[in-house]
Amino acid sequence: MEAEKGKTAKYLKAKRPVPKAVTEHLKYFTRTKKALINALKEGEKTVPQLAEILALPADEVMYHLMSLLKYGFVETGEMDDMDEYFYYKVKDHGKDKS
Amino acid sequence: MPESIKTLEYDVLVIGGGIAGGESALNLADIGYKVLLVERDLTIGGKMILLSKVFPTLDCAACITTPKVSEIARHPNITIFTGAETEKVTKLGEHRFEAVIRQKPRYVNVSDCTGCQLCEEACPVSVSDQYQYGMVGRKAVYIPFSIASPRAAAIDIENCTLCGACERVCPTQCIDFTQTEERFLVKVKSVVVATGFELFDPLKIPRYGFGQYKNVITSMQMERQLAPTRPYNTILRPGDGKMPDNIAYVLCTGSRDKTVGNPICSQVCCMYSIKQAQLLMGALPMADITIYYLHIRAFGKGFNEFYAQAQDMGVEFVKGKVGKITEKENGNLILRYEDIEAGQVKEAEHDMVVLSVGVLPNRGISETFENQKLELDPFNFINQTDILASPAKTSIEGVFVAGTASGPMDIPDSILSGGAASAETTSYLRRAVS
Ligand SMILES: Cc1cc2nc3c(=O)[nH]c(=O)nc-3n(C[C@H](O)[C@H](O)[C@H](O)COP(=O)(O)OP(=O)(O)OC[C@H]3O[C@@H](n4cnc5c(N)ncnc54)[C@H](O)[C@@H]3O)c2cc1C
Ligand code: SF4
Ligand code: SF4
Repeated sequence: MEAEKGKTAKYLKAKRPVPKAVTEHLKYFTRTKKALINALKEGEKTVPQLAEILALPADEVMYHLMSLLKYGFVETGEMDDMDEYFYYKVKDHGKDKS
Repeated sequence: MPESIKTLEYDVLVIGGGIAGGESALNLADIGYKVLLVERDLTIGGKMILLSKVFPTLDCAACITTPKVSEIARHPNITIFTGAETEKVTKLGEHRFEAVIRQKPRYVNVSDCTGCQLCEEACPVSVSDQYQYGMVGRKAVYIPFSIASPRAAAIDIENCTLCGACERVCPTQCIDFTQTEERFLVKVKSVVVATGFELFDPLKIPRYGFGQYKNVITSMQMERQLAPTRPYNTILRPGDGKMPDNIAYVLCTGSRDKTVGNPICSQVCCMYSIKQAQLLMGALPMADITIYYLHIRAFGKGFNEFYAQAQDMGVEFVKGKVGKITEKENGNLILRYEDIEAGQVKEAEHDMVVLSVGVLPNRGISETFENQKLELDPFNFINQTDILASPAKTSIEGVFVAGTASGPMDIPDSILSGGAASAETTSYLRRAVS
């Protein structure tokens, strides 16, 4: 029963399988994150621009983009000419190891 | 299988660690009583710790709450359980209560966690952040927010993939997935109930379109957008990230409304909306702010001046009852309302709408009292059985109520009520038991 310190996740995994919805959700987030970062690597963009490129609802783009801002993958740029939307850009190359 | 249960003894059990419960605990602890503060959430501080600035002084909420919360956390006479539920409370006799407290596993040893956030960085999972009212994500391992107390990580086991990344990077090895639920039998002489309030859920008024129209938000979401620990880089529409310049407030959302089962006034919505309008004028100097109201209730000290100040700043007040909200293709919203002074139905366009949601009772706690009934009032708040002579008194001798658990009120009144509860508890404890 003793679980080694620093490796206790395995211990719980044996007792409590991870629900499928949780892994599916992770996949979805990882996919959206990649798509957003790739689109921003090509140049800074606003939320409506990203929504169009990714063919996703703008509110969903907003939610994920703001999460990436919080996690340090993305940073805020200037405002557009109409003073309506901010541009966002990748930070530290989207934390790429490459 | 008989479960092991530890027995603990204190003078007073305080249930709920918002500003009211915190104030009661602090007063009692200062006199020398040993207090157990049981908080359901991962942090103490209640709703107040999440606010931006507070009316009518416009002091920063965090600047007032943080020192208070750390005083509570450091007090030698206060023990705090966070992430803990009260399963039941039984009165055995005067000055003799027994409570069963369930402590859910946090999967992090709080005393060893330094709050370094390396675990958060390593965690691949992102789910909706409840402390930002869903406007942004957070990791499956997370520190609730920067001024949380304790400022320690916790694991959201429901959304964790058990990949182990967090514990591999944790420098103090404080993440521990072997933790299990613990139960405690707590013997106390008296109980203070300070379980606060719930926010009205605007999904119950479908004609306002909340949930469906992404630029219709609640006042609590706007509070977060105005706070220094905001979810976005500035105040933006959740629907598409546009900076709003024409914001409407709909007062009394879910208050004074029999059709949603809440006939009473929430007491704080008028004032917090006026506060937010003033803060928005500061943050977005070009924006127009319109407040749709039925009556403005500005009865407290300095409140009327605060209201007048908002009018002077250019906030528009429209006496009108909003019937229906619809969305245009560009995300703007059309408010159809009855202009009460003109006696006409009118329409107005705004690019963001804030619903000033009301204060509802948090009903669950009364069911945890076993052999005596903790009575509720007609609106399902905890009944104050002697409201004029001893406002903290409840239907159970030795059980006192503090803050919004007894009805809607603002922060100054919640603190006063917490003070009253501690004073009445003290006098109960000092009364000789025959
Ligand atoms: C949008 C908004 C803005 C506001 N702005 C202002 C303002 O500017 N100025 C002002 O004066 N007031 C303001 N208020 C009102 C203010 O939030 C309340 O007056 C105050 O938070 C009440 O404190 P409380 O301790 O009674 O309740 P709460 O803050 O609700 O705290 C209750 C605590 O009890 C815990 N709890 C609940 N049930 C249990 C249980 N069963 N077991 C253990 N713990 C439990 C909760 O997790 C919580 O921590 C605002 C309110 C809202 C909604
Ligand atoms: S074990 Fe869970 S909390 Fe830890 S990093 Fe993996 S998903 Fe995140
Ligand atoms: S759990 Fe470990 S890695 Fe996470 S904040 Fe605490 S000390 Fe840092």
